Amino acid sequence: MYNAKSPSRSTGLFLALGAAMLLLAMLSQQPWAAGARGAARSAFAPAEEAMTSLAAQVDRVTAVFGDVSALRAENVRLRNADEALRRQIVELNAAAKENADLKAALKFEKASGHRMVAAQVIGLGPDGFSRTIEIDRGTADGVRAGMVVVTGAGLLGRVREAGPHSANVQTLADPQSRVNVYLSTSALQGTVSGGANALQLEVQHGLGVTASNGEWALTSGVGGGYPRGLVVGEIASVTRRDSATTDHAQVAWVNDPTSISFVLVITDFLPS
Amino acid sequence: MRRAAGAPLIAAAALAQVTWAPKFEVGGAFPNLVLLVVVGVTWTLGARAGMIWACIGGVLLDLTSSGAVGPHALALLAGAYLIGFWTRNLEHASPVHIALTAAGSTVLYSAVLVLTAGLLGQPTPEAGVALQLTLAAAAYNAVLMPFAMELLRRLQALTHSAPQPS
Repeated sequence: MYNAKSPSRSTGLFLALGAAMLLLAMLSQQPWAAGARGAARSAFAPAEEAMTSLAAQVDRVTAVFGDVSALRAENVRLRNADEALRRQIVELNAAAKENADLKAALKFEKASGHRMVAAQVIGLGPDGFSRTIEIDRGTADGVRAGMVVVTGAGLLGRVREAGPHSANVQTLADPQSRVNVYLSTSALQGTVSGGANALQLEVQHGLGVTASNGEWALTSGVGGGYPRGLVVGEIASVTRRDSATTDHAQVAWVNDPTSISFVLVITDFLPS
Repeated sequence: MRRAAGAPLIAAAALAQVTWAPKFEVGGAFPNLVLLVVVGVTWTLGARAGMIWACIGGVLLDLTSSGAVGPHALALLAGAYLIGFWTRNLEHASPVHIALTAAGSTVLYSAVLVLTAGLLGQPTPEAGVALQLTLAAAAYNAVLMPFAMELLRRLQALTHSAPQPS
């Protein structure tokens, strides 16, 4: 343990550094500083990319040891395949529920007709409050703030900030994230928000229908924040609240940001 | 610990925090490696060194997240300063003391992050979610801190340096 000689010197340094960091924070969030901020983040991105690559290699090496690791990897692969198949079923069911072939065809065309940019995940958010990921595509690749980010399994989040060669994506797990959804079977509407362990869903009450476990939540397009029909997750549990106007549910998200390597940025859809 | 050794250490901690650490999530929380390094540096080298490395590590973390640059630095700085006060008045530091400072710093770090976000007009998490994440992170960091401290002591021994006066 080290005993400092002068508490007042430490206090002086603390106040000076605190003021400097607060000033930096206020200045760096000004619109005119966005370019410098993005450039600084892009400069840091190669180091993140290298570290992520190293982490992936270490993961691969450690996965060799022991059957448990191999079985786990196989389990993940099968689960991903299962999720992809279930997504197809959900999307087909959801389309059928629209009860109009033309509408379904248009929806399909809309869903498959988006222009996308593939990006590699190079980093994850530094704290539990901001569940974000860093990707290796930026404004130079056509990525802009507000664009929607998906994976093969479904919706991942939205680009929060884009630098020249990297961008920061706010995932659905972020406590500040909000997505309007509808449920695949009951057609009830609700809002999904991020949470510590699982996505939280507030489902509006409907006449004669209730949300139930196993239903799928898809983006409703309400509010114009996200395109309609992107898979968000499966309802894991529902808590009925008769005295309120909404029920509460937990949603098992189709994505796990810590195990995603590649994402797709939808470049021809911006929130209205 | 020499500054030359400190710079790669804090950079490695920041990079590991945004690549490896989230994979070890428990109860919504994951280890804050930069905070562990800052707490360790404050215990071994004093409050002034801890505060300087808090700013450097915090800015590195800010560069990996969206929004303003500075909130993580401020959040780490507050912890380093308060630990400095406590260490001055403590005769013998035990692993429990060190773990407690990690937990306390995590709580302070989270509180400053949320307050700074509010001050800068950025969205803040709901109180319940914030509390749950903070407590889980505090417990996680407290468990890891004695091991991090041991690692820092060994690194310090490797660099053959005497503690720098603050």
